[in-house]
Amino acid sequence: MIILIINNVVILAGIGGFLAMLLVIADYFLANYGDCNIDINQGKKKFTVKGGSSLLSSLAEKMVFIPSACGGKGTCGLCKVKLLKEIGPVLPTEKPYLDKDELKNGVRLSCQIKVKQDIFIHIPEALFSIKKFRGKVERIIDYTYDIKGVYIKLDEPKNIEFKAGQYVQLESKKYGKVKQVVSRAYSMSSPPFEEDKIELIIRLVPDGIMTNYVHKQLHQGDDISFTGPYGEFFIRDSKADMIFVAGGSGMAPFKSILADLEKQQSKRRIVYLFGARTEKDLFLVDEMRHFEDTLADFTFIPVLSQADEDSDWKGKKGYIPPILKDYVKDPDNTEGYLCGSPGLLAVTEKEMHKLGIKNVYYDSFG
Amino acid sequence: MKQTPKEEMIQERLKPGVVTLEGFLGQDKRHYHEIISEDLDRLKSLGKSHGDIAERIQYFTDQAFEFADEAGIVDDHYEIQYQTERGKLISPFMDNVFVPKGFVRLTNLKNGVTVEWTPLNIYMIKQYGFFEGKGSTHRVEPDKLIKAIF
Repeated sequence: MIILIINNVVILAGIGGFLAMLLVIADYFLANYGDCNIDINQGKKKFTVKGGSSLLSSLAEKMVFIPSACGGKGTCGLCKVKLLKEIGPVLPTEKPYLDKDELKNGVRLSCQIKVKQDIFIHIPEALFSIKKFRGKVERIIDYTYDIKGVYIKLDEPKNIEFKAGQYVQLESKKYGKVKQVVSRAYSMSSPPFEEDKIELIIRLVPDGIMTNYVHKQLHQGDDISFTGPYGEFFIRDSKADMIFVAGGSGMAPFKSILADLEKQQSKRRIVYLFGARTEKDLFLVDEMRHFEDTLADFTFIPVLSQADEDSDWKGKKGYIPPILKDYVKDPDNTEGYLCGSPGLLAVTEKEMHKLGIKNVYYDSFG
Repeated sequence: MKQTPKEEMIQERLKPGVVTLEGFLGQDKRHYHEIISEDLDRLKSLGKSHGDIAERIQYFTDQAFEFADEAGIVDDHYEIQYQTERGKLISPFMDNVFVPKGFVRLTNLKNGVTVEWTPLNIYMIKQYGFFEGKGSTHRVEPDKLIKAIF
């Protein structure tokens, strides 16, 4: 009797599963949603797409890139857009990523919305200028034991326009246990005038999906893609003194900024404090010394927090925040630019404000 | 074990390659409910709650944040270093929470016990009593943690 019941349950479940699969296949091959219009920011941008795909991919097809870290798999919750006209209930796959206000205001995950009708959305206008780039890894440099520089030669489009200090979202590929594509933010370290390539400086983060991809899977000649440029971290147009503070791969935007300032023959006073634990963590020192020779008023100061006792290190030792005061001449006429770990950023920003520096800039990368 | 669709999705997100490279289960083949249940029973026998532990490690983490990624001493005999990282990780528990990346290492200088945790550990311990599966890269053993932080 029990075997008969189990058999019947299994058969019924099988039939149910088969019918569900048929529905999915039929929807994929037979459902025709026709052409659908997408209107962004009340007519600022309008286009027609073939219905049936996700809103995220339909927008990307028309070169409107909504930031997404999981490639549209519904696991990162980043690709939010605001719907200006309701198109149906919020899906259970979206709800965990939306708070009460977002639900009330029509915010949805664009990767989970299927375009079946005309859609009216609102997104930040800055997203209009973002493009998707495809390129090849031209070379990979080992800067330190855990930091690599990755040069990407652009294939399509062939050139990129950006401000020194901005970042891109690099996309990984599936590898090993990683069954999804992810994207992560990295500052460009190459200068804007090298329009046909970019360099990224990437430190290996233990257990990091993207950094393990770059450090262990990526090779010269590999295809790679990214979107960008993003960010508000760039030099403000003024005559103020500038203090740069960075640690580790936070070197990246400053390498780009300094090359750009060199080309502009900037006369501004710049002090660059770079924090590292030991001499093994220092890199691009010769390049920074070169800028000391070519820029009118630039000083590079590496600071080691754990200099080896047997090393002949004659430079600064300790942490950056307590020594900042030694380099600030006129706080009212000084701008702070920071890039590094959140811990270094937070303490340095606090110290700069304490010293009277009001304008402190950095990218938190979300 | 009968699961809701949400629980099934959570179990998938705890596997390697979804939120982090190595995931949160290690070699543990059990459902996350069983892992949580066993650890909470153990905590009860040790006279602590997951809330007590989360509160304590959050305290150390906040203190260590002020050291700007370098090592420092908190409350005379805890040596602690918080290596902060840029970016955030999403909680695998489908609860719309993003937690900063990073690693905290604490050594109790009185008894020499060293433990490590991540900001995501703190969140998962506080909200769910989830210390991660056996053999997981960032599993924090409740017994060892209690020896180190109390």
